[in-house]
Amino acid sequence: MKWFDKEVEDGENSILIYPNLPTFRQIYAKYVKDQLAATREDEVEEANNNNNSSIHNNNNKQSKSRIILIAPFYETVDSVRHQLSAFGVENVQRLIDTGSLLVADSFHSFFPDINGMKKLIDSLSQRARKEGRTGVTAIVDVGFFFLFGGDNKAVDLISYEAALAPKTQDSNVKGFSCYHWGNYGTLTDADKEQITLRQKKKLLEVREMRNYS
Amino acid sequence: MSNNNNNNNKPLAKLLVVDDDPDIVQVLKMGLVKNGFLVEAFTNPEEALQSFKSNAEIYCLLLSDMRMPSLSGIQLSKKVKEINPNVKVVLMTAFEIRDEEFSKVFPSSRVDGFVQKPIGIKDLTDKILSLIGDTSKRKRDEGEG
Repeated sequence: MKWFDKEVEDGENSILIYPNLPTFRQIYAKYVKDQLAATREDEVEEANNNNNSSIHNNNNKQSKSRIILIAPFYETVDSVRHQLSAFGVENVQRLIDTGSLLVADSFHSFFPDINGMKKLIDSLSQRARKEGRTGVTAIVDVGFFFLFGGDNKAVDLISYEAALAPKTQDSNVKGFSCYHWGNYGTLTDADKEQITLRQKKKLLEVREMRNYS
Repeated sequence: MSNNNNNNNKPLAKLLVVDDDPDIVQVLKMGLVKNGFLVEAFTNPEEALQSFKSNAEIYCLLLSDMRMPSLSGIQLSKKVKEINPNVKVVLMTAFEIRDEEFSKVFPSSRVDGFVQKPIGIKDLTDKILSLIGDTSKRKRDEGEG
């Protein structure tokens, strides 16, 4: 998904707003599929350059790929795995087994420790470096912050977003905080400004998937 | 307990069912109606709340999905209880429910029960009747009187 990679570089955290769950599914599934295809192309090119058949070398494959974290809130981990398969991502289980893909319920990464998600992403970042991977893409649904409602909703959310710098030099993490429109719309203009403009994060508003593929 | 016990053809109770998944709403509505309940079903929690505000006294129980955008089941249950504290609330979730975790954040939300999806209609009916048994009997008696 070229717009995803073009808009947000390594070291950047952005805000993505999606209109509904089917569109969110298309976004993450297409991203995973395109990343796999890109990795495969790189490997073919490298194999040709080296004039050998290292394309089938598993270690080489792993070192080239990113780690992709998908943390849904409005569907289960099993549902995400099913959606990826249904969308044509081959051998989802192998991606998980080799550490290239992690699907985790965002609720349990935010609760009871609200910093849990950040810690998880930091650990993935370190692992990516250790394994010689190109980086980490974190696609995180922040629906958790809207679950309980109340006055603390925006306070906690702004605090979480503030902890994710818009851009960090030398970071290998590409972050997407994903908001369902139904949730984002409940924020006040002042809260939205706190989350996006003041933090100078890129705002990706997805209305229809076909406009962004 | 199932519709077999509802031999007088009067509805057991009126339920408000909310889930943002249209398929789940349809299945729940069909099953619960078959088991003798009157059901108003919504995929949009805001619309469900509006319906409840207009008819707060006729509902015995709210059966709602927990994780829904714009208005979660937890928020909906709070609003419903504010309007009519006598209404029972059952939240559904496809996710693992860890009681000790929720007890920390739910002390004031007064949710009467949780069910984990997928759940069979018979088990769901039993759960609902265990919560509203007295209420529905009283309402039926009042209707007969």
